Amino acid sequence: MKEQLDQIFSRHHGTRDALIPVLQDIQAEYGYLPPEAMEAAARFCRVAPVEVYGVSTFYAQFKFSPVGRNLVMVCQGTACHVMGGARVLEEVQSRLGIRPGQTTADGRFTLETVACIGACALAPAMVVNKDTFGRVKPEKIMEMLNGSGS
Amino acid sequence: MPRLVIDDLQIEVPEGTKVIEAAERLGIMIPRFCYHKALGSAGACRMCAVKFIHGPFKGLQMSCMIDAQDGMVVSTTDEEAVAFRRQVIEWLMMNHPHDCPVCDEGGQCLLQDETVSGGHGLRRYPGRKRTYHDQYLGEFIAHEMNRCIHCYRCSRFYQDFAGYRDLGPMQIANRVYFGRFRDGPLESPFAGNLVDICPTGVYTDRSSRYKARRWDLQRVPFLCIHCSLGCSTVASARYREVVRIEARFNESVNGHFICDRGRFAYPYANLADRPRRARVDGEDASLAEAVRAASGRLDQISMNAGPDAVALVASDRCSLETLAVLKRISREKGWRHPAVFPRPDLEHKTRRAVSRLDRRLAVSMRELESADFILAVGIDPVHEAPMLALALRQAFREDAGIVVMDPRPVSAPFDFDHVAIAPAEIGGCLSRITEALSALQADSAAQGKETRRPEAAGPLRADLDSRIAGIVERLRGSRNPVIVCGTDIVRDSTPDRAADLARLLLQLKARPCLFFVLPGPNSFGAVLLAESPGRSFSDVVQDIEQGKVKALLVVESDPFKNFPDRERLERALDRLDLLAAMDYLPTSVVGRAHIVLPTCTVFECGGSFINQEGRVQRVEPVHEGGIPVHQVSGGGHPPRVFSHEVPGGEIEAAWRTALEVAGYTNARDNLSILKIMAEEHPGFARCRDIPTSRSFRVLPDAGDRPPVCEETGDRAAPEAADTLEVVLVDRFFGTEELSGYSPVIQNADSEPLVFLHVRDAEPLGIAHSDWISIALEGGGLEVRAGVSAQMAEGVLVIPRHRLLEWQKLGPVPAQIPFGRISRAGKE
Repeated sequence: MKEQLDQIFSRHHGTRDALIPVLQDIQAEYGYLPPEAMEAAARFCRVAPVEVYGVSTFYAQFKFSPVGRNLVMVCQGTACHVMGGARVLEEVQSRLGIRPGQTTADGRFTLETVACIGACALAPAMVVNKDTFGRVKPEKIMEMLNGSGS
Repeated sequence: MPRLVIDDLQIEVPEGTKVIEAAERLGIMIPRFCYHKALGSAGACRMCAVKFIHGPFKGLQMSCMIDAQDGMVVSTTDEEAVAFRRQVIEWLMMNHPHDCPVCDEGGQCLLQDETVSGGHGLRRYPGRKRTYHDQYLGEFIAHEMNRCIHCYRCSRFYQDFAGYRDLGPMQIANRVYFGRFRDGPLESPFAGNLVDICPTGVYTDRSSRYKARRWDLQRVPFLCIHCSLGCSTVASARYREVVRIEARFNESVNGHFICDRGRFAYPYANLADRPRRARVDGEDASLAEAVRAASGRLDQISMNAGPDAVALVASDRCSLETLAVLKRISREKGWRHPAVFPRPDLEHKTRRAVSRLDRRLAVSMRELESADFILAVGIDPVHEAPMLALALRQAFREDAGIVVMDPRPVSAPFDFDHVAIAPAEIGGCLSRITEALSALQADSAAQGKETRRPEAAGPLRADLDSRIAGIVERLRGSRNPVIVCGTDIVRDSTPDRAADLARLLLQLKARPCLFFVLPGPNSFGAVLLAESPGRSFSDVVQDIEQGKVKALLVVESDPFKNFPDRERLERALDRLDLLAAMDYLPTSVVGRAHIVLPTCTVFECGGSFINQEGRVQRVEPVHEGGIPVHQVSGGGHPPRVFSHEVPGGEIEAAWRTALEVAGYTNARDNLSILKIMAEEHPGFARCRDIPTSRSFRVLPDAGDRPPVCEETGDRAAPEAADTLEVVLVDRFFGTEELSGYSPVIQNADSEPLVFLHVRDAEPLGIAHSDWISIALEGGGLEVRAGVSAQMAEGVLVIPRHRLLEWQKLGPVPAQIPFGRISRAGKE
């Protein structure tokens, strides 16, 4: 881990204002922010570890546990809500056996909800990795997951 | 000055006063959580909403965020404001666990008070509450995050006010969490204040957990006696046991806060092995019998060997009452005057410092906060006078420059320039600064001359010159500079030199500018009452060895703690015909005394102390004394054994017992003691007129009298290049006597380190946290080394730590040859 971190740090100045780019690079490397990496980032940017954790938990973009190989995002925005987004979410939850924010035991899927993905015309919508699915029917969900997920 | 109307009452307040503060001056307490006088406004809790009816603002506004302005008309009771506040408290209470019955804050909880005052009685929200994991924050503070209402007081105090970084806010929205990155003890020595400032029970005092509700406690405005600053506290007792210390606001000393040593040292008063019964030759006796025995034997020795064969020993933890009585009885009986200080140099430096302080020069700690340049010499603030570090931090936050001239690896919660020089060089630097400054001020040189005396500025290193020039420039350019001077590690003449510089600055800036830190809580009082020149304990030891002293009465003092040569002390004490000890601590001297006369702690008998700026502060007892109920009952409650007397209740204040030992049987009431104090020092006459809640300074007015300087031969700097100079120092925990007996502090204390400079350590092959052994004639010492580049070269910094038998070093040498220090094999 030390070598990877050193490589990330070599791309930045060790100052307070570099903290967020450093954290983004760490997340790009590991998929989440391991506690040891946050402590290393604190030393590198010369801030307290509690401040690193404070900053990273303030933004929704940072993750604190390893994510699955596939990211499933179910839209819960207004249009999707009206068109049955909640039923889609329920179905995904029961199929994968996890709740939003969790990862399946085999590390294959991570489930999240989003407030809107800008595909309101296709509501209810769902995103698996980079594929966006519109007018999602609950009974087709397993197909979508298996089709897009590795 | 803006004039405004709040609830139909008019008030004029200084520019910049917040409306919430203006209302408080009228006696109207607007509900608040995040607002705190010392921390300022945050606008986080929305609880202090009031209605602005006229003026530059209209409608509902937060009274902590708006400065009072002319023509404002404010209502705190407007229906809209009341309804808003009721809503705010309802949503703040939404996730609160309602665990008041098991919460230590219950009964002294701002959240309880504001819930009631906000009019929120019935819970309407039926949903699930948000919950958190709590953290382990060390031995002092318990963490219960579920109770949090997100007012940010803790992180604002901890990070902004006190300057420590390991506790802070994390997460977002209603998941906001205050804590550390990982579990672990809080690093700040001021963390105990979280207990006081948290408006609910997130941070509670572990040492007093589950012991009492506030209304069950005997609470008394009290005084901290764990360093020379004399901070104000509130002491609480229950069932004859001190259970809690809190900070008390004091405008001129400590402000709102205290340090953790002051807060958690109190268990020394509750120790089960505290001397509670008088003893004569190893047998338990009543106090009266023991007093009779002591009195008789002392008189006998006085008669046979002359009164000069009886010596008194006291310490700077004795109250002014005790010291005055000891002075009185030693004079009337012809006994030797009490020796208060363990070493002659400490006595000398304290006396010099006290004699140079006057009303125009002395700065209080709160005044120090408004200084714009501070030169601190021979002091490690966090360790020697912790609240001074917090005061310096406040000056730093207002952009004051701070220079610390000290050999130790000083670390403090503010930025400063560290001039790391050996103790011998500090005095020379001060003289050079004084000379340069007065030479620069050609106009005022004529007046400056009279206070200057020929200085023998020693040879200084070349690299120091530019730093000294920099300090001179900054002193010149500052409006309100202050000199802070320690008395522990510096050479004998340094306090005088600091005072010389301060006198010059007083002429230039016309502002008080001198702040001394003294060795102990009553050092100031001890030198006021001392004969001149005073004796130190080492003189007494010498006289015992020569057979001049046959009897020793040791009053609230433990020579074993401070005397540098333990074996020599043991031999000397064995020679005595009589060793009588009066104390409330189970000290080594109490263990070997022929006659033991237990005394009361200051919690049980009160007392007066003079802090380092000459402020006399008097406190009343917290409880009446006696053995704590749970010790009498074996932990059960209520006790099953009953008697007419309070168990252990016959013990009295040291001054009362001392008077009795000297044969004064009818001068033991409170009025007589005030009379004795006034007779022993005219400055104490005011104690009779001033209530205990008020303090006063005993400082001479005479600013113009030329100071009487004593020339003293300073110990020279070590000349041989292959030696290290030994510097014995105090630490935050572990070196102060009373707090060393506190179990909670013992648990929290870390291992003591002996520090040396990295360039001194390298040739010896010593790295940081290696075990080293120091071999001397008197014995060896194995200890962990700290290696630092941020300290003076050529010194070996040894803490007088409880766990470190530095007394084994034998007669502490001025210097230790490199050859005697080596890496130890121990891992």
